This record gives sequence, C-alpha cells and structure tokens, in this order.
Amino acid sequence: MRPPLVVGVDVGNSTTEACAAEVDDAGPTRLASSLTPTTGVKGTPANAAGVVTAVRKALEAAARPGAVVDTVLLNEATPVISGLAMETISETIITESTMIGHNPETPGGEGLGVGTTVALAELGGQDGPVVVVVGAGADFDDVAHALNRAVEAGVDVVAAVLHGDDAVLVANRLTRPVPVVDEVAAVDRVPLGMLAAVEVAPPGRTIRTLADSYGLASTFALDAEQTRQVSPVARALAGTRSAVVVRTPEGDVTDRRIPVGSLTVSGATRSIDVGVDEGAEAVMAAIGRVAPLQDVSGEPGTHVGGMLAAVRDTMVDVTGQPAAEIRIRDVLAVDTMVPVTVQGGLAGEVSRENAVALAAMVRTSRSRMQAVADEVAAALGCDVRIGGVEGEVAVRGALTTPGSAVPVAVVDMGGGSTDAALLDRDGRTVAVHVAGAGELVTKLIDSELGLDDREAAESVKRHPLAKVESFFHVRHEDSSVQFFDEALPPHVFGRVVTVTPEGLVPVPVRRPVEAVRTVRREAKRRVFVVNALRALAQVAPQGSLRLLGSVVLLGGSALDFEIPAMVADALAPHGVVCGIGNVHGTEGPRNAVAAGLVDAHAAALVAP
Amino acid sequence: MTTATGTRTLTLREIGPAERGTRPEEVVIALSPAFGDPFTKTIVDVPHAEVIRQLLAGIEEQGGVARTIKVYRTADLAAIAHFGAKLSGSGIAVGILARGTTVVHQRDLARLSNLELFPQAPLLDAEVFRMIGANAAQYAQSRSPRPVPTRNDQMARPRWQAKAALLHLKEFECIDHARAAVEVEPVITRVD
Repeated sequence: MRPPLVVGVDVGNSTTEACAAEVDDAGPTRLASSLTPTTGVKGTPANAAGVVTAVRKALEAAARPGAVVDTVLLNEATPVISGLAMETISETIITESTMIGHNPETPGGEGLGVGTTVALAELGGQDGPVVVVVGAGADFDDVAHALNRAVEAGVDVVAAVLHGDDAVLVANRLTRPVPVVDEVAAVDRVPLGMLAAVEVAPPGRTIRTLADSYGLASTFALDAEQTRQVSPVARALAGTRSAVVVRTPEGDVTDRRIPVGSLTVSGATRSIDVGVDEGAEAVMAAIGRVAPLQDVSGEPGTHVGGMLAAVRDTMVDVTGQPAAEIRIRDVLAVDTMVPVTVQGGLAGEVSRENAVALAAMVRTSRSRMQAVADEVAAALGCDVRIGGVEGEVAVRGALTTPGSAVPVAVVDMGGGSTDAALLDRDGRTVAVHVAGAGELVTKLIDSELGLDDREAAESVKRHPLAKVESFFHVRHEDSSVQFFDEALPPHVFGRVVTVTPEGLVPVPVRRPVEAVRTVRREAKRRVFVVNALRALAQVAPQGSLRLLGSVVLLGGSALDFEIPAMVADALAPHGVVCGIGNVHGTEGPRNAVAAGLVDAHAAALVAP
Repeated sequence: MTTATGTRTLTLREIGPAERGTRPEEVVIALSPAFGDPFTKTIVDVPHAEVIRQLLAGIEEQGGVARTIKVYRTADLAAIAHFGAKLSGSGIAVGILARGTTVVHQRDLARLSNLELFPQAPLLDAEVFRMIGANAAQYAQSRSPRPVPTRNDQMARPRWQAKAALLHLKEFECIDHARAAVEVEPVITRVD
C-alpha cells in the first residue's frame, strides 16, 4: 500500500502554488509541484477553484492524475489585501493663451524672432517686426509664397506659428529663414496684435532665451516685479526644442499644487496629519514617527479619502467585516511623475507633473480560509487542513535552500505585498507584511511612460528591452547586438521592444530604450529595494540589518531578472548574505510555503 | 492639415535608368506603369500631382530625401514596392499604383510582406499620403513612427470594385516588358 498522499497549497496574491508529496514515518517524499493563477482575491471563497486546479496540476505533474488525495494542507493566508491609488499633486495652467511650449517633432528654421502677432490673411503693410499666425487648412506652398511676397514688400517677418505639420516645408521655401513652430492645434486662440517671441533650437538642443527668466525679461523689457511673475513661464518651457510666448495684459502660467487631501496616520500612542501633496517622503516620515502603525484614514471628500474608502470597500466585500473594523496597517507612498495635458495649452502640451502613488495594506481579524477549505474538501473529497502562519512556513521552506543557515530572514516579494520573516537561533519567528510590491511597480511603469496599457507595462516590468535596428538585428539594452537568420516581423521594425520568451513585443512608447530602462529600474528600486529594507529592519534584532546573517529572497518577483541583484546590492553594505531562494535545491524561489506546509505536516506526524 | 489651392499638373521627367541609391536616409517612391501618364488621378480623383506632392512633403518635413522611379515591367504593387526598396539607400520604399493603392516596403522583407499597407485606394486622400510620406522617412531614419491609422469602409469594396477592376485592366495594358525601370524627376506645375 502506498503511503498517504499529501498536497500543500499556498494561496498568494497572484499565484496559487501546490506541492504534492507522500508522507510516511520516514518523512515526506516530494513528488511534484505546480503553479496556477489565484482565482479571486486572496483569502476569499473564490480561491477554491484555483486551489483545486493547482492540486490537479501537481498530481498530473507527479504522473498520478486522479489519484486519491489523503490530505490537502492550506496556508492560513495572511489576510493582507493591498490597494493602489495615484493622484497628481501639481498642475500647470496657462491663462489667456500666453504660451506654447511644446515639442513638435519637426519645427522649422532656427533662432529667436520677436514681433507682433498677425494673421496670415492680414499680412502686408505692417511696420516693425511681425510673427505670422497661420490657421488650419493652409497649404505649405501657399504659406511660403505669401510670406516671401510680404518680405519682398518690406514687411519684417521674423517668425511664424502654424496649425499643420508644415514647419520644415515652409522654412525650406523661405527666401529669408525665420524660426517656425508648427502643430499648434488651437492656433486660432493665439491672441493677435500682441508682442510675441518664437524660439526654435537647433536639432538636439533645447531653447535658451525663452526658458530663462532673464531671457524673457530682456525679450519683453520687463522690470523686476514682472520678471518674477513670468518665471513660471520660463520654468514650464525648460527642456523643449521650440516655444512661443505671447505677452498679454493678464496672461499667466501657474504651477500650482492640487489639494488632494491629507492622511491621518495613527500609531499606538499618537496620530499625525500629513498632506499627501507634501510628497512621498513626508508621508513615509510621518508613518515612521508613529510606528507601529494602527490605522490610516483619509480626509473625507478628498482624493485621498476616496482612495482609502475604495480599499476599505474591497475589504468589506472580502471579509464581510463592517467597514469600521477594518484597519489599514501599512502604506507605501512613492513619488512619481506622470504626463498630464496642460490646461489652457494651445498645442496639446504635456507637462510632467508630480504625483504620489499609494499602496495600502489592510489586515483583518479573520480570514475566510475555512470557507475555501470547505469548498476544496467538497470538490476533492478529502481532508483539508488549514495551518501554519505564512511567515513561519515560508522560513521553513526557505531553509531548505542549499547554503542557508539559521538565523535566516526571508523576503517574499509578491504581487500585492512584500513580506519579511526572521527565524532566530532560538527557533522563534517574527513576520511582517508591508504594502507595495509587483502590482505597484507595474502601475508606476504604466503611468510614468504614459502607456495606459497594463499588459504593456507588465511586459516592460518582466523583460529586458531592445531596439530593433533592422530586420536582421536588434540592439539589447546593454548595447550588445544580436543577429537573426530570419527576418523579424514587420510590426517590430524600428521599435523599442521587450525581449520575451514568446518573441519580441513592441512597447508603445516614443522614448529611447535608455529612458524606458531608467523608468523600469527606478520603479523597481523605489518599491522593492525600499520595501525589502523597510520590512527587514522591522524583523531584524534591534532593528539592525547587520544582525540578520542570511537573507533568502522568495516569491514571483525573486524570479525577476534584476530585482534580486538590486536588493542584494542594497543589503551588501550591511554584511548580509543575500540570494535567491532555491527551495529543496530544485524549486527556485517558488513553492517555499507549499513545501514548508508539507514538511511541517510530516514533522508533526513523526513527533506527536 | 493642408489642402491644396489651385490645380497642379505632374510631369515625370526621365533622368536615366533606375539605379541603387547610396544615401542612408533616402526613401524611394516607386510608381506603377500608368502613374502620371496616361493616368492623372486616383480612383477617387485625387490628382497624381497632389499624391506625389504630399508624399514628398511628408518626407521633407521629417528631414528625409526622396528619389522617384517608375516601373514598367509589372503592375503588381508588392513587386513594384519591393523593387523600389531594393534600390533605396535606406531600404525603404513607398510603392503606389495609378489608382492610389499604396504600400510602404523594406528590402529585407518578403515580397508579399510590408511595413504598412493601404489596400483601400478609395479611402486615401492628400492627408493620408502626407502621413505615409512622413512615416516612410521616419522608417528610413530608424525611428519608430506610429503607423498611419488605416481607415476601413465596408462599402468600399462593393462600391468601387468594378471601377478598380477596370483601372487595373487599363494599368495592365501599360505594362511594357521591354522597358526597364527609370528614375524620374516629378515636375509639379501650378496651372491657375
């Protein structure tokens, strides 16, 4: 007779893992493991379907499909649910159409032209320098012809502003070259009869005069007070290749902070209010001051209030607990930049505004794993036991990594939360969960690159980048070149792509590989490196990372091609041995909890 | 976007045999046997002068350079465009039939593949030809243009199929197997 078949199952935020083993007096004999996406929110009855799938897959992998399972072991899923939100905290508003600061791909001409704005139809007979404003529907040949004729007639045309994408075409046809800015969608709103300056920088450069406060002062003969007022204009124009500034009596550019509300962070002894528009650093500092955190609430009627309310609502659905009993136990705030269309802009200008992303983590007093267990028992017709605190079981699994020793700390980098646990020499374990993990990284990448496409952001997160330089070669992000024998598909030609096992996938951005890479690495650093250090500091003896000994990285994100190295680099100065877990020497950073459950079960059988 | 005022005519002045270009950023515009002469407009009456003018404008706006060739031995768009791509210094060519059907091709691609294909000639206007020119120039400069949005009209096929077939037959009659491809200079003259 075969020994009893036991399957350990770990329900995580994004994946459900199973480990099948035969357990007898001699201990467990592992047969196979499996991995499947988690169904529903972790800790809810919807998980049962995923658990059953994982068990069946593990049995198939063990070449024993349909075998009678004796016991299924479920982890006491830490009822940690994370919510994400992002709010922009600054915005740029242009009033009276005073400024066009955009980067048309192809402005024409070069230099600075200062004159009075005149519509193309009104051109002729003006004294003094003029800036010609050309509306929609004009043909480049006609515009160039009209400008040349006006110049012949003695009008001092010093610059042009166009609606269509015609700047180079017009500039190339002028007898007297002037700077030309094009693709100004709302050109009809440019005030006429006003003094205006148009500047176009040479290719690869950015404008100098209009992006400088004193440059603007010299151009428009401003006094000290007026110069102070236009300094936001100069700042808003910094970094663009072309710009138009129109001087109107009331026009202004403001760069204001959006009141997004404040957070009240409550610790055991005191609570502090912190405005989210003060940025991530201020929020994290406040959380540090009240530690240990008991609850966080947002100012009602504000963006932040709405965001935290949404997290609570999810939690009410999941746990069935009343909203009043739900406590937010951790928040990770991250500063980010998001591209936002400028209000009042004439050319659809986009400015990179400050934003704060928040990951909040909720802990409840009870989880509904028992409901999952009942469903699984009904579906598989076997005994289902819930046991083991996730942290402890994970440490047990991690310790099977060759080369690891007590005291050992694990960092489990998952989708929703980053968890750390420490097993000390006395056999005691401590575990913490902190908010923010893979999902937050995806969101940061998505918004910073302006992708608005979660799948694409996920692909950027998971895979290295490359640029397809011809049909037969790509240049990888480390600048190495790879050649192909067969032509690459046309849809990736000339594009920035992610190198996935399924092939090259185009990334819908117009930025160079280096810029995308920086966004990706920064997002990972701000979430995983920050969280790994933060979580380990909470479990480390006396809060000192130096006393940790060895750290084993677990979870899906430990499989990432760069996160483990980034975390190890950050820990190296503390003299910590840090590496990717290899559960039982074969499973890699996956399956630690599932394998740990089986081991714990077997140990309990041997030593009752 | 610009729309032309006045009428313009197109003359294709023959320069010599079509040869391989050397400029790495060049785009070749490859014309079908009946383009410009004897045909003067596309299936929806866009003058060939305007088609060429907008393609060249798109390429010029992006800082590119163009060469135009005319092919006589085939009226197959894929063959015309691929032939042009092989002569192009950058490997990028825009192939175009007299009735307006257009494709952006690259020399390393299989002949029946393409970078961007605009199969429904009745939906191509001056604005689209400008964007096609701009994209071809960007491909030639190893940049990553956003593909020109392709329009689709379910009724285009039933409405225009008969005319397209007739135009195709006419163009087919212009094929001259004895005549090698030539490089041409498009001369656009305004007549109003």
